Amino acid sequence: MLLRAASLVDTCAIASSLAGLARVGDIIVLAGEMGAGKTAFAQGFGKALGVTEPITSPTFTLVHSYPCGPKLTLHHADIYRLDSTGDVDQLALPELAEFGGIVLVEWGDVVATGFGDHLEVRLSRDEVGDGAGGADGDDDFGLDEARLIELQATGRSWSGRWDRVAYGLEGYRC
Amino acid sequence: MLILGIESATQQVGVSIGGHEGVIATFEVARGRRHAEILAPAIQFVCRQADIELTDLGCIAVDVGPGLFTGMRVGLAAAKALAQALKIPMIGISSLDLLAFPCRHTDRVVVPVIDARKGEVFWAMYRQVPGGVQQVGAPTVGPIDDLVADLLARSQDALCVGDGADRYRDEILDGFHCEISGPVHPSPAALVQLAHSRALREEWVRPGEIEPIYLRAPDAQINWATRESRP
Repeated sequence: MLLRAASLVDTCAIASSLAGLARVGDIIVLAGEMGAGKTAFAQGFGKALGVTEPITSPTFTLVHSYPCGPKLTLHHADIYRLDSTGDVDQLALPELAEFGGIVLVEWGDVVATGFGDHLEVRLSRDEVGDGAGGADGDDDFGLDEARLIELQATGRSWSGRWDRVAYGLEGYRC
Repeated sequence: MLILGIESATQQVGVSIGGHEGVIATFEVARGRRHAEILAPAIQFVCRQADIELTDLGCIAVDVGPGLFTGMRVGLAAAKALAQALKIPMIGISSLDLLAFPCRHTDRVVVPVIDARKGEVFWAMYRQVPGGVQQVGAPTVGPIDDLVADLLARSQDALCVGDGADRYRDEILDGFHCEISGPVHPSPAALVQLAHSRALREEWVRPGEIEPIYLRAPDAQINWATRESRP
């Protein structure tokens, strides 16, 4: 499913809509280049789950955990700094999800086969829809520029929710 | 010598104390999966109820897996910290051994099966020997179909135990006729019993030498080269 977010506000709204459908045990992989909006997505997602603390990228701490009530914890992971699949395995992200968690994994697409059922959210800059600025590097990424967001489910866990995902995000469909 | 056994390789958290007089006290919680929150108070509770000071302990035994990463880490970290602080040795025992040991009175092949998540299980095979069980099939991780193929290849009377056998009961029984019963989780009491016989032979190690058994897919480099933006 391909979506278009015209601004940061839209990215957060899409994240918020998905957060409303997410449940304990979910692993959501966030893919996309530097500055594509993975952390912005995580912020919108967390806010919708009731996280009041500021959500920052866990590049150096690997995983940040935010309690969202008595039975739910949002785990925000970033595996950019890891070099081997064994290191990723040791984070035991599927276990964090299983034990009352929802896990967002930045850069998780490089090892997604190890996650089993999951949803991939691929963010990229909308080159066509956004006329301004050059296309010559990440540094030119304006945070508020338009994004393309592609959703792809692996496994059965999200297929039962796909109608509701589509309904909730109808306004952003490309 | 008194041995403190810490077992947290599956959903269960367990603590046991024992020695030459057998198991003195045991505490187990198999629900909630709050290993980190339960373990330290459990150790304190068991020691207090059995009227034992930590300084009375002569050895720390710990379940080294395979099992849950999150659970094993809590147990190993706590066990190593205690052993280091008390300056006493450690004994590490596999969760599969712990599941097989209580079934030592059967003449069937004992197959401990632990849920490895994502449709896979850890398993090994044991047979009865005087005084205990002996491993006859090396620990393996793989899908249920591989376990069934392994059972079929042996075609011996088998007893499957453990949370993996419990969860995948139907899949196992569809492929191979065997009994599935017995312990679901490794017990800290078995840990203390097995550790005691090793302690008598002084088969212990320093805390730094204890390593978890992850028994996972081979480690591979992440192909970051495909990412243009990786500096």
